[in-house]
Amino acid sequence: MIARRSLLAAGAALSLPAAAQPARVMKFVPQTDLTTLDPIWTISNVARNHGYMVWDTLYGTDAQYRIRPQMAEGHTEEDDGRRVTVTLRAGLKFHDGEAVRAQDAVASIKRWARRSPTGQVLLTYLDEIGAADDRRIVFRLKRRFPQLIGALGLPSSPVCFIMPERLANTDPFQPVREAVGSGPYRFMHSELRSGSFAAWERYAGYSPTPDNATGLTAGPKLVHFDRIEWHTIPDAATASAALMSGEIDWFEQMPPEVSTQLERQRQLVVDVMDTLVFPCSMRMNHLQPPFDNPAIRRALLGAINQEDFMTAIVGPTPARFATDVGFFTPGTPLANDEALAPLKGPRSFEASKRALREAGYNGEPIRLLGTTDIISTSAMAQVAIDFFRKLDVNLDIALSDWGALVQRRNNRGPVAQGGWSVSCFANSGMDFVNPGTHNSLRSDGNAATPGWPSSPALEALRMQFFDAPELPQQQAIARDIQRVAMQDLPYIPLGGYRSLTAHKRSLVDRVKGFAIFWGIKRT
Amino acid sequence: MFAYIIRRVLATIPVMAVVALFVFSLLYIAPGDPAAVIAGDQATPADVERIRESLGLDRPYLVRFGEWVWNILNGDMGVSIFTNLPVTTMIKQRIEPTLSLMVLTLILAVSIAVPMGVVAAWKHGTWIDRCVMGFAVLGFSVPVFVVGYVLAYIFALELDWLPVQGYTAFKEGFFPWLENLVLPAIALGGVYIALIARITRATMLEVLQQDYIRTARAKGVGQRSILFLHALKNAAVPIVTVIGIGMALLIGGAVVTESVFAIPGLGRLTVDAILRRDYPVIQGVVLLFSFVYVLVNLLIDVLYTLFDPRIRY
Repeated sequence: MIARRSLLAAGAALSLPAAAQPARVMKFVPQTDLTTLDPIWTISNVARNHGYMVWDTLYGTDAQYRIRPQMAEGHTEEDDGRRVTVTLRAGLKFHDGEAVRAQDAVASIKRWARRSPTGQVLLTYLDEIGAADDRRIVFRLKRRFPQLIGALGLPSSPVCFIMPERLANTDPFQPVREAVGSGPYRFMHSELRSGSFAAWERYAGYSPTPDNATGLTAGPKLVHFDRIEWHTIPDAATASAALMSGEIDWFEQMPPEVSTQLERQRQLVVDVMDTLVFPCSMRMNHLQPPFDNPAIRRALLGAINQEDFMTAIVGPTPARFATDVGFFTPGTPLANDEALAPLKGPRSFEASKRALREAGYNGEPIRLLGTTDIISTSAMAQVAIDFFRKLDVNLDIALSDWGALVQRRNNRGPVAQGGWSVSCFANSGMDFVNPGTHNSLRSDGNAATPGWPSSPALEALRMQFFDAPELPQQQAIARDIQRVAMQDLPYIPLGGYRSLTAHKRSLVDRVKGFAIFWGIKRT
Repeated sequence: MFAYIIRRVLATIPVMAVVALFVFSLLYIAPGDPAAVIAGDQATPADVERIRESLGLDRPYLVRFGEWVWNILNGDMGVSIFTNLPVTTMIKQRIEPTLSLMVLTLILAVSIAVPMGVVAAWKHGTWIDRCVMGFAVLGFSVPVFVVGYVLAYIFALELDWLPVQGYTAFKEGFFPWLENLVLPAIALGGVYIALIARITRATMLEVLQQDYIRTARAKGVGQRSILFLHALKNAAVPIVTVIGIGMALLIGGAVVTESVFAIPGLGRLTVDAILRRDYPVIQGVVLLFSFVYVLVNLLIDVLYTLFDPRIRY
């Protein structure tokens, strides 16, 4: 059947003069609206994805998770690694026509470091950072910091994007007001309709790196669209209908029931967004009973079935999730199977009940915080409710939207005073690639993220990691970290799921990882 | 009459003040923390606290309320916590789609529901009456989002007559504007049509029993004139009242309809702001909706005098 709208569109296209070919436009539906333009101020995936279009980084990460130069020409180390000089490539220009200078990079690194978990560690190593001239950034360190270059190039939020100095001098706890960078796309500020629409246009002055690496954020970022449009469609069913009708080209993320429908469409491709899974965790409050008792935390392990949690999020297809997941993202260099035995093998609620009694659980109330508005955390909350009911604990369920949950979990008090006991979370795979980016491993009590685990042994190992110069040493420390973490349990790993994305079959060469707009083209 | 309108307009001031106090206080005690949402789930408590301070959310209730009221009195609704755009700018960006949707729905609903109600009353007890009432029950019972999905499936996906989602501004042309709004207006209008049709039928049934209608029939006045000139005018007051009350239904329904059809209107702005705890935006939009509702009520009161000359203020 020739549809009326297709016919009208074809007629309109034919009536265009030959010289007025339409620009190559990609219409994309992001997972959520781009509310803020500053990927340092807010740590959200959409802000990061927008950031990679607008800003460039000194270093990138290739498909094998190796760090490769991007804006940097290279770096040198002197004085036993305590003086590191990074040299910028010549000819880099911001979208406003200004040259990229080392001073811009210095201000950007300083701002990023105050918000980034690894950056905050860097600050403890740093004596001074400055610009030797317009192209050379000099780090003067108290002692060698082997993670320095990696920290500047990892795509874990917040990413060390290089902004003009005038923007980078903004307090990191205040947002920048402009999106001016030197990345492959210019942000079209005048077209922004918050909650609905955002657009970027190809930056003709973008200078791709000569490094021929390929993969995630490394190598030349060659773009094949003149314009990228983000259309915010909050309802997944509507977005999928828009994709099926051809109104949009790419739908970033969807629930499994929608992906099943899209898979039946011959003109569409449904694929995993990332080669990495989203690691999931059950976080307990270490300050209050009963989970202030490590034996009670460990008693849960025998009944945890990672497959149950992952199936609830993405359905039963095994290719869409990973089990036997530890504290580092599977498929990344530090992932290992050390001490994971308690999470494997036959599961037994009876054994866990016995272990709980032996550990001294005495019917203290357990308040489970769960969300109702985010697919992954909502699904895990439902499985967790069933899990605790089967353990016959004194369960109190508190479900809310994400906005209320993130406030409520900051309450350190007992359950009787509005506190909480346990909650489930999902993170980006890049957040759990090493102890620097992995804030959920942080176990320095009140300074740690909610749950506030305290484990001097784990903290000591985390600090050792930052001093480890080579991968084999880092991997050995990662195994030790996992062994201690399985004892002290800052959280319980619940597995990892793969996020699904759907796009027109005519779009090819998508770079897997997240919503990346270079490489991808229309056939 | 003029003095009455002035009095009513002035009376909106204390109403709006109460609404402002109520909205601000509710948001103050409601759970949720925009600073924690901004900081992300890997943030440390210190990061969250720094952001809360930078947003001024750590200040006492009275200080924040006083500052907000002072700004409102100066025409400043504040700045969105997340987008950093002035709330007035965000409302201006979103008002056209919502206004378009509501006006089109209103026109559609009144032009369908009133004749339906009149015909149902005229053909009281027949299959036509039962069909109209059946439709009214359906309109009340089926949620807006279900109607929306069904319409999108049939007219956008299967027949490809209309777009699935989105909004085209009126300045881009009447037909592109209309094309995007037809399905949402039908979806949103269902419950409104049902409400107006039922009230029209009930009121018309009552009016058609009156002596003056019998007299008109006896004088040989045509059926159409009896229904639309004599009966409907006298049934208009309750119908207009229901249309006015129904504005609240429309505002509530617009929130759902805008989400289903991805229309960037005030309804979606409200939902997004609530989910993010973007307090200045929530306060601004709720205040605006309250003001519109007060104005609609005033308009309805004024319209009474047109339909019933006995009403005097």
